[in-house]
Amino acid sequence: MKVLLVGNAAREHAIAETLTLSQRSVRLFCIGELANPGIIRLCQKTGGEFFRGDINDPEFVAKKADSISPDFVFVGPEEPNFHGIPDTLEDRGIPCIGAKRAVAEIEMSKASMRDLQWEYRMPGRLWYKKFRSFEEAVPYIKEYAESIALKPARQAGGKGVKVIEDFQVYLQEEKRELKFDHAKTIVDFMRAYDDVEYKLLIEERVWGPEYTLQCFTDGRCVKPMPAVQDNKHSFEGDLGPESGGMGSIACGPNLKVAVDSEESILTMEEYRASVEIVERMIDAIQRKTGERYHGVVAGQMMLTSVWGPTIIEMYSRFGDPEAVNVLPILKNDLVDVCEAIIDERLNTVKLEFEDRATVVKAAAPEGYPERRDLAKGHPVFLDEEAVSRLGVRYYWASVDARPGEPPRTGGSRIAEFLGIGSSIAEASDLAEGAFAHIELKDAWRIFHRKDIGTMKTLERRIRLARLARDIYTYKARKGVLGKRLIWIPGKGLMEAG
Amino acid sequence: MTGILGIYAFDERWRIASFGRYGLLALQHRGQENAGLVTLGKAFQECRGQGWVEDAISEERIRELRGHICVGQVSPNEVPEEYIQPLMLRGSKPLAFTLDGRILRIEGYRWNEELGYEDNILKALSEHMEGEKDALEGLKSFMARCRGGFSFVALLSDGTMLAGRDPLGVKPLALGKIGFDAAVVASETCATDTIGERMPVSPAENIEPGELRVFTPLSARSEGLFKGCSRRAFCAFEYVYLARPDSYVNDIPVYGIRKAIGEILFREAPAEADVVIGVPETAIPFAYSYAYKSGLPVEKGFEQTGRRVRSAIKPTQFERLKGVQLKLNVISEAVKGRRIVLIDDSVVRGNTLANIVYLMKEKGAKEIHVRIGSPPITSPCPFGTEVPPEDELIGRHLSEERIAEVVGADSFHYLTLGGLCEAIGLPRDSLCLGCFTGIYPEV
Repeated sequence: MKVLLVGNAAREHAIAETLTLSQRSVRLFCIGELANPGIIRLCQKTGGEFFRGDINDPEFVAKKADSISPDFVFVGPEEPNFHGIPDTLEDRGIPCIGAKRAVAEIEMSKASMRDLQWEYRMPGRLWYKKFRSFEEAVPYIKEYAESIALKPARQAGGKGVKVIEDFQVYLQEEKRELKFDHAKTIVDFMRAYDDVEYKLLIEERVWGPEYTLQCFTDGRCVKPMPAVQDNKHSFEGDLGPESGGMGSIACGPNLKVAVDSEESILTMEEYRASVEIVERMIDAIQRKTGERYHGVVAGQMMLTSVWGPTIIEMYSRFGDPEAVNVLPILKNDLVDVCEAIIDERLNTVKLEFEDRATVVKAAAPEGYPERRDLAKGHPVFLDEEAVSRLGVRYYWASVDARPGEPPRTGGSRIAEFLGIGSSIAEASDLAEGAFAHIELKDAWRIFHRKDIGTMKTLERRIRLARLARDIYTYKARKGVLGKRLIWIPGKGLMEAG
Repeated sequence: MTGILGIYAFDERWRIASFGRYGLLALQHRGQENAGLVTLGKAFQECRGQGWVEDAISEERIRELRGHICVGQVSPNEVPEEYIQPLMLRGSKPLAFTLDGRILRIEGYRWNEELGYEDNILKALSEHMEGEKDALEGLKSFMARCRGGFSFVALLSDGTMLAGRDPLGVKPLALGKIGFDAAVVASETCATDTIGERMPVSPAENIEPGELRVFTPLSARSEGLFKGCSRRAFCAFEYVYLARPDSYVNDIPVYGIRKAIGEILFREAPAEADVVIGVPETAIPFAYSYAYKSGLPVEKGFEQTGRRVRSAIKPTQFERLKGVQLKLNVISEAVKGRRIVLIDDSVVRGNTLANIVYLMKEKGAKEIHVRIGSPPITSPCPFGTEVPPEDELIGRHLSEERIAEVVGADSFHYLTLGGLCEAIGLPRDSLCLGCFTGIYPEV
């Protein structure tokens, strides 16, 4: 059978690998913006082909699909969903694993996602305000000195999110200045997007351990995968600008420390509550739009002190690097799962994963994520054999391969390394070994985060989860989960939430 | 001691000076003689002065300081204005540099006895840097030549910040953060608590001995600065007196150690008494746990007048006594007619203690049993903690019985060296106990 994959990052490399491992002897075709050497090799090996082109151009993708006439198309990243690629393909009778434009709204518009949560009174709905312009936001920022997250109201590759904690009155002035500055930056940068009404979102700042809950869905049921914890900040110790993700861990459904461990970041109850939230989100968006959701959906979540399991953002696709944690340990045949989604009989599929710990670590060129201009164009050397000998699996990310030349960095992450073991720490150690075998031939620096998956980091996350749990379970006992009770002197008791 | 601080915002839009000032305020207990802050945006801007942070670095001046990176310090050492740290190296590779502890020698540099300590450091540094192509690599190789017990923060004019510790780890240094936007390096974690995020899991972590942290606009990374360092010599006095009880030093909570000291002090030297009183501020946690273990009540014995002064680190006898007398007005009702266990953290010369005992007896205390939360201080500190000449140290020359008579107490007991190590919970050979033993780690 023929499958067409859209996208060219490490996530798509992992999807490609899993598809080609199918018993159904898949011929893999792929459209990507950069030539990912890993995906190209899989295409060649299976008798398929790799095409370079604009994956967000429905005409182009449809034309290619017509010429290939695949059994189905798998869309990897979110932007093609926002550009209606799945809609265009299905209109032509080509089944598609990928959220259609209308239902992908839960990712594309962060404002719509929150609106939906409030409209349907879903648990985990954070307090928020949306603004069309900077001027609209000014009085609000001026009046309230609060800890907030400033976000572009549209998904923009994770760019532009800034959390500003504002507790210390003695540092308020500097923080307010930056809030203004950043709000303006977001609105300016959102001018490039004309597909959303609101430009800026201000949300209450929450804290707690983050995790991504990825699920397959055919619109009738939701099949969850193991929860994965990504590490968004560029540098060790959760420092520095937010990136697309520097590495991620998973073990069991609920982020256990080891396969045979009782210790975990989430309780099973919290895992199930998170699944329910994603189910309700799918249900709500389908009801709202009348459109079916076929594909992958993910809740990028946080265990907060306000609500317990809480949605920070929704993904209308796999996370990257989170896909690399789950796909390689998927026991089912991915093609079977895709067909079940297309036929809307996913309820008959028993989704199973190997009981192993997985740790993914990304290698990035210095300059990523803020100065991609500096990070781009460096020739990469990866000793693939040496990495394989270590027992580490590697996934090419943002690189551009040219015949007879080393691949060059595309400005984002270069490659992701996957360690699989019986504990997170063991898998982390394993993945760590790969970094001795990758370099940039012009001596430009590569960086990665050694601290991902270490016991020290894990213990810290578990402690954080416990603190958040103590507070939200207290609130649940008091019957004030998600509510904010504020005594305003002279006005009285205000209840929000 | 000295309190050092560096703040590095990855987002250039931050105005960081005020964060620096409040961070230094949190380190004020490490030095109250002078303070300095250097910020870097497009260029270095400096502010330094004598006295407390709030006086030396005024709010008005803070408004003028631009930049998203800063280094600063508070010091207990009296120095002329031009030597108040951060020291500035001018020339082709300008940098700001601040250090807690002491560089004892610099490999390949002949110490010029005519020059003072600071001038020697600057001379060696400037000579070294002249021969280097790259400022970052240059400073790294310079620091690798330095021997002693120190932590440092340096800021290069291209926006690179370095922070590191000597291989023995004599002086503390911790890494924290302000949200996700900025890294904070500081002598103590309490600085991060004051200006950093309220993430309920302390975001601060230890910078390891011999480790160097480098912050550039594009990266934050850890490097080894010294080769082959496995021996540790953490300053034990940090735990007894120098650090704030809300800090973690080498990842160990200071408060926990201070409580353990009180417990062990009771085990080693119980007393027949009616009430336990701690000498503010440092000895208060000792007193709490001594009282808890003994079953005796603990009470507030003193009220202070004026600012909170760390009397023991004041440079002159006049300043120390003034500090004690203003800080420690005895509350008559707490002591009148009672047998008192009086707990203090350390005894240097004994005259401030004598003063306290006298004041308490004058207010009607019946008996006073002095318990000290550290062993006798007998020797100087080569690593920059101010200890008077040996002939001034009462613990070096007199027995506990004699000291009791001199200060006017009914009994007197020092914590044993073994007791101190037990309270800290680290093996003896990973601590610097030089001020108690006269035996110093080899640098």
